[in-house]
Amino acid sequence: MHDFLQKIVALPWDQSPQWLFLIPGLLMLLAASAAVCLRNLIHSALCLVLSFICLGVLFMALGAEFVGFVQLLVYVGAVAMLILFAILLTPAGEVAASNNPLKNFRLSSALHAAAGAAITFLVLAGLLTAIFFSPRAAHAVLPAQAAAAPVALIGENLLTHTLLPLLGIAVLLTAALVGAALLAKEDTSL
Amino acid sequence: MMLQILLALSAVLFCIGLLAALTRRNAIMVLIGIELMLGAGNLNFISFWKFSAHPENLTGIMFAIFSIAIAAAEAAVGLAIVIQVHRRLHSVDVNQANELKG
Repeated sequence: MHDFLQKIVALPWDQSPQWLFLIPGLLMLLAASAAVCLRNLIHSALCLVLSFICLGVLFMALGAEFVGFVQLLVYVGAVAMLILFAILLTPAGEVAASNNPLKNFRLSSALHAAAGAAITFLVLAGLLTAIFFSPRAAHAVLPAQAAAAPVALIGENLLTHTLLPLLGIAVLLTAALVGAALLAKEDTSL
Repeated sequence: MMLQILLALSAVLFCIGLLAALTRRNAIMVLIGIELMLGAGNLNFISFWKFSAHPENLTGIMFAIFSIAIAAAEAAVGLAIVIQVHRRLHSVDVNQANELKG
C-alpha cells in the first residue's frame, strides 16, 4: 500500500497534459450537482462524499498532497459522517408542505426557487467574467511552478510562523466540540 | 490558462453550493451547500498557491489547512443546531424556524 502511494506521488504530474485535471474536476462538479438536485437526502449525502473525494484528488494532482489527505480524512471521514448522522436523526424528506394552510404555497415556493436561481446566475456570470475577461487576467498569470509541499516543511511552518493561529484553532475546535455536545443534549434547558 | 480553468471550476462549484443554500428548504441541504462553497474556497487557495511567485512560502497551503479545520467546527455546530431545531419544531424546514421574527 505504501509503495503504491509513493508510486502515485512520484508520477510526473507536472509533465502530464493539462486536460488531465479536468477529469476529477468535472466529476466533482457532476457529483455536486447530483447532491444538490436529488430529493433523497441519503443519496445526496453520498454524492457529496464523491464530490469531496474528487476535490481531494484534485488537491493531490496540484502538488498539495498533505491538504489532499487532510481533505479526505476530515471531509470524507468526519463531516460526511456527521451529515449522515443528522439525516438519520431527523425525519426524511421535505414533506412539511402538507400542513401549510396557504393556498398560494406552491406559487411562493416557485418564486423562492426562481429568486435563488437568479441570484446564483448573477454571481456565476460575475465570477466567470472576472476570471476570463478582466484586463488583468491576461498578463497576471504566472507559469505553473513545480510546486511541492513536503510534510516536514508544513510542520515546521505550523510550529513557527503560524503557531498562534494553530493555538487559536485548537481552542476553537475544543469550544465547538463542547458547544455541539451541549446543543445536542437531550434535556437541555435552552 | 490552466489557472483560469481551475478558477472556473471553483466558481461553478461555489455557485452549485450557493444554489443549494438559497433554494433548498431542508436545513441539512443548506449545510451541504455551505460545505460545497467552503470546498470551492479551498480549491482557490490551492490554485493560487500553485501559480504563485513563491510557492515555497506555503501561504496557500496554510490557509487551506486552517480553512478545513474551521469548516469541521462549523459542520459540528451547525448539525447540532439542526438537531435541536428538529427537537423543538419537529421539522427541519428552515421556513418554519421563525420564532424570532418580529
